[in-house]
Amino acid sequence: MSPEPSAVEGRIVASGLTKVFGEVKAVDDLSFTVEPGSVTGFLGPNGAGKTTTLRMILGLATPTSGTGTISGVAYAHLPVPGRTVGAVLEATSFHPGRSARNHLRVFCAAAGLPDKRADEVLEWVGLTQAARYAVHGFSLGMRQRLALATALLGNPRVLLLDEPANGLDPEGIAWLRGLLRHFADVDGRTVLISSHVLSEVEQTVDRVVIIARGRFIYEGKLADLEGASGGVVVRTPTPDQFATAVASLNARITPRADGSLAVVGATPEAVGRAAWEAHVELHELRAGSSSLEETFLRLTAEPAAPPGPTP
Amino acid sequence: MINLVRAEWRKVITVKLGWGMLLGALALAALGVVAQIASNGNGGNGSPVLPLSAAATQRSIAASAGSAYLFSIVVGIILITTEFRHFTSRPTFLIEPRRGRVIVAKVIVAAVVGIIYGLACAALTAAIMEPWFAALGVSIGWTSNGVLLSMLGDIIVIAIFAVVGIGVGVLVRNQIAAVIGALIYLFVLEPLIDIIPVVKNAYPYLPGAAGAAITGASRGNLAHLTAVQGGFVLLGWGLLFALCGWILTIRRDVP
Repeated sequence: MSPEPSAVEGRIVASGLTKVFGEVKAVDDLSFTVEPGSVTGFLGPNGAGKTTTLRMILGLATPTSGTGTISGVAYAHLPVPGRTVGAVLEATSFHPGRSARNHLRVFCAAAGLPDKRADEVLEWVGLTQAARYAVHGFSLGMRQRLALATALLGNPRVLLLDEPANGLDPEGIAWLRGLLRHFADVDGRTVLISSHVLSEVEQTVDRVVIIARGRFIYEGKLADLEGASGGVVVRTPTPDQFATAVASLNARITPRADGSLAVVGATPEAVGRAAWEAHVELHELRAGSSSLEETFLRLTAEPAAPPGPTP
Repeated sequence: MINLVRAEWRKVITVKLGWGMLLGALALAALGVVAQIASNGNGGNGSPVLPLSAAATQRSIAASAGSAYLFSIVVGIILITTEFRHFTSRPTFLIEPRRGRVIVAKVIVAAVVGIIYGLACAALTAAIMEPWFAALGVSIGWTSNGVLLSMLGDIIVIAIFAVVGIGVGVLVRNQIAAVIGALIYLFVLEPLIDIIPVVKNAYPYLPGAAGAAITGASRGNLAHLTAVQGGFVLLGWGLLFALCGWILTIRRDVP
């Protein structure tokens, strides 16, 4: 029993993280929690502030305000960060003239690990054959694997991977999925992977943290996000009367492209009964089948211009 | 700390750059030594020259190898800027988030690399001087004429400039800008300062002039500091740049 909730071993906590570059708020008062034993997707469109957030949690960038902690402490205060946290920030952190094996051996030395560890992780990621070659000849997929190997050197209990599926072929993505699931399910490690494409990680993650324009959008189980997203699709000749009829359900009504309405936050049964009781004519009533990706795009879309005359 | 130094050392020996630059340093040192011996020995064009047997000549020949510091400062700059250029700064500072320690390790390794460059250049200088002087029948006063001391000065200058390079590379993270900036300073700006009234009084205390004072190489119009004074001044520059690098690396975000 820990008195400080954020001090759970392996838990990542962002608390009011903010990063301002000049006039731009790249990350704006962002708070979320990533639990050990799960694979969490860190999602948002390009430029949403994902990488900046990861960099602040990893101590590479200093937050303008707020804190990021791992196991209850700032990254720099972890006892042996190299053996506690493994991270990949874009698969480009290599000297092109250095061989894969020497690249890893440099960091073996820095982390106080035996050199044979380099060969072990190379085997894990399937790069044993390429170990002696300079990185400049590596494909993007091979670089991703080498970056992952670097993160795994210290056998970390927390993994933070920025766009790890970039450049991997379908086989590589399946392999990565198995590896990350194993880390979370069997070893109970914390795995946080960022992506700008939900479909890329939806089969891998069980929780998601969604941000857009540096701000928090959603945090929770992927399953819950899916359930909340479907909604009810309604077609009616009298939309205003319909809105009045279902007002008591506190659901959100948005017009769809095809002229029908999406009702989010109510079941088809409740919507149907409310319409029937108010004698509103319905031409269509069905459960929405909005895909996860659509939900993601809707959640992270640019907000529409505010209605009304501009001052 | 020893782990970090080992890691930084491995970074140097696992890429070709360090060896290539060593060849460059040796070539520049050899060029300087050969030119010095040849011009003093022949004394063509009616220019008054000191005989090769003179202590000052022998010291100045040995000192000309010190010009290899141009390569050691560039190596120092590249050792650090390559981290930012290829983003190896990220895994480096992830494994050791106490960034100051990484800079200390880098400074130590840069100094070691500089000492190796210096030793190699001094050895090459001796290897050129010895048979050449023997062939001319002139004896070298290795200790009595201060030739060895001059060579020691070469080694010190070359080593300290490698450390200065680390600081320059942290200040100017762009590799090409840092290298070109350092060379423009040493070749253009510093000699310019030497001829501007009033400002020129500061000249002997600038890095290039202080380095020349150590080896006894001729540089600039103003009287040099003594070798020992020059040594302390250059060491001060090395420490100042290293300190700047240390502070900036801690304060700024890692690219």
